Amino acid sequence: MRTVSRGLPLLLAALAVAYPWLAPNYYLVYAGALTVMYAAMSTSWNLLGGFTGYVSLGHSAFFGLGAYGTGLLVVRLDVPWAVALLVSALLVTAFAVGVGIAAVRVRGASFVIVSLALVSMMNLIVQGWRSLTGGSTGLQVPSPFPGLHRGQTHIVFFYLFLVLLALALLSWWYVSRSRFGAGLRAIREDEDKAESLGVPTGAYKVAAFALSALFVALAGGLYALWFGSLDPIFVFSILIASYMVLMSLLGGVRHLYGPLLGALIVAPAGEYFLIALGETQIHLTATGLVLVLVVLFMPDGILARFTRRRAGPSIPDESADQRLQGVAP
Amino acid sequence: MVSLLLQGLALGVLTGGLYALLASGLSLYFGVMRVVMVAHPAFLFLAAYLTYTVHTTLGVDPFLALPLTVPLFFALGVAVQRLLIARLAPDNLAMMSVLLTFGIALTIEGLLGTFYTGSYKSVSMEYATRSLSLGGVHLPYDKIIAFAVAGLTLAVLFAVLVKSRFGQALRATIQHREAARLVGIRTERVAGYGFGVGLATAAVGGTVLALITPFFPASHWVWIGKLMAIIVVGGLGSVVGAALAAVLLGVVEGVVLVTVDATWATMMFYVFLFLTLLARPQGFFGGRLAHRF
Repeated sequence: MRTVSRGLPLLLAALAVAYPWLAPNYYLVYAGALTVMYAAMSTSWNLLGGFTGYVSLGHSAFFGLGAYGTGLLVVRLDVPWAVALLVSALLVTAFAVGVGIAAVRVRGASFVIVSLALVSMMNLIVQGWRSLTGGSTGLQVPSPFPGLHRGQTHIVFFYLFLVLLALALLSWWYVSRSRFGAGLRAIREDEDKAESLGVPTGAYKVAAFALSALFVALAGGLYALWFGSLDPIFVFSILIASYMVLMSLLGGVRHLYGPLLGALIVAPAGEYFLIALGETQIHLTATGLVLVLVVLFMPDGILARFTRRRAGPSIPDESADQRLQGVAP
Repeated sequence: MVSLLLQGLALGVLTGGLYALLASGLSLYFGVMRVVMVAHPAFLFLAAYLTYTVHTTLGVDPFLALPLTVPLFFALGVAVQRLLIARLAPDNLAMMSVLLTFGIALTIEGLLGTFYTGSYKSVSMEYATRSLSLGGVHLPYDKIIAFAVAGLTLAVLFAVLVKSRFGQALRATIQHREAARLVGIRTERVAGYGFGVGLATAAVGGTVLALITPFFPASHWVWIGKLMAIIVVGGLGSVVGAALAAVLLGVVEGVVLVTVDATWATMMFYVFLFLTLLARPQGFFGGRLAHRF
């Protein structure tokens, strides 16, 4: 069992690195890059959702801001793309700290409302501020690799997203073993108790919120450079946010590889539906129904159902008191 | 400038009445099940589209769709509560119910988009296109009708809640579920009916909406933002708070709409939402229930 759980991630990592060369055509490379992008985003969504239990339906706000930030820095200020990507992600993270301070004052359902409002608000601002963002006509971002053709660009971005995914997974793993992670888990079990035991719950929640925004913003920035054209309706869409939630929930929010597994299922399925059913809205219905089914019948996700033993690092089942003892000073 | 402000004020009060009706449904769900029903605006648009279909195929007045949509939505509400919401585990109800109703909202949006396409639809009646002039202020008849219908529905709702035995049982369930059960109220059934009543208000609201504004499937997200801002400012679960916040935000929106522009008018909802959270997370009016949510 141990060798399996050690060896499997390595094997999968090797497969992932080889994927662009195994894929028979560039379309599948493109679909792969998209899948890895979603995997990175849902893993970073899980930095907040998995540890604290705070469900954000608004993470596409950070995706869109990262995309527009990177795009605007490149287009309006002629900043090199790598610098633009990092600067934009840092700005979005700072913004997330500000929003987090207001957002984490409320719990449960109210927090979800705030996160939803965030997306609508950003969408409104970007569409309204035509002189800067181009409004609803969108923003064109020049390719960072003008020498490459479209298919080669897909390969480059596949690897860039893969690096991002690795960073997100490493962060989740690191946090899960840290005192910070123990504090976040205590917040999920019993926030009042955690606070009375001296866990700085407010600061921890804001930190988790900002950290998870950071990787989503980076994904947004990469997306802007990859696609080359930004449409506010798409990048600030509720659909992207709900994908992150659905993928994490389906795979299992308590597991390191849960969101990744969810992304491997949901993203290709979404692409398939798009091809099979065309541009109708029925894929929304499919997403919605799967979400309803997961919430009703499998709220702990696939990994929890199939492995009582651990499939990679995960948040162990223990009582709230045991967990709180771990964080008490 | 003064007449412009008056115009905005009057429009705001009229729209605020409709907002109050729509937010009352959300307060009911929250009251009876502690559930934030994100799918409420999606049902609203479902009602608007049904009204559109009835109007275009039968050529009748949109309000004649109400005898069809209101009972249908009541039954839908009872079904949603019994078959879906009641199945959720109580320990994580708040989050899971949001995700569940979010899934329902996506499902409805997708179906509407598939059957009716994503383009704008509207129902316009000849009597609703004119407006009433009162001392320099123009009040469109459709907005007046919307306000009247909303006011009437709210009045009926309050009468039911205060006078009828069902209303008493519902209020008892909202106040203290266990105690209500102890005195013999079948709280599960009452919660189901409470959901039904909430969705019935969405049926009325959707019909009114079809009359006063063009609609398309994805526009329910804008309404989620607006209605959620209203119930947060008013205090989750407080029907009276929601009504007051609805009129307040309606007026602010109306005034900003005529003095600045539409983007900022919508933005005001989010500004108020965040200000409320910073200053008083439990909401400004009532909102006792919201304290620990």
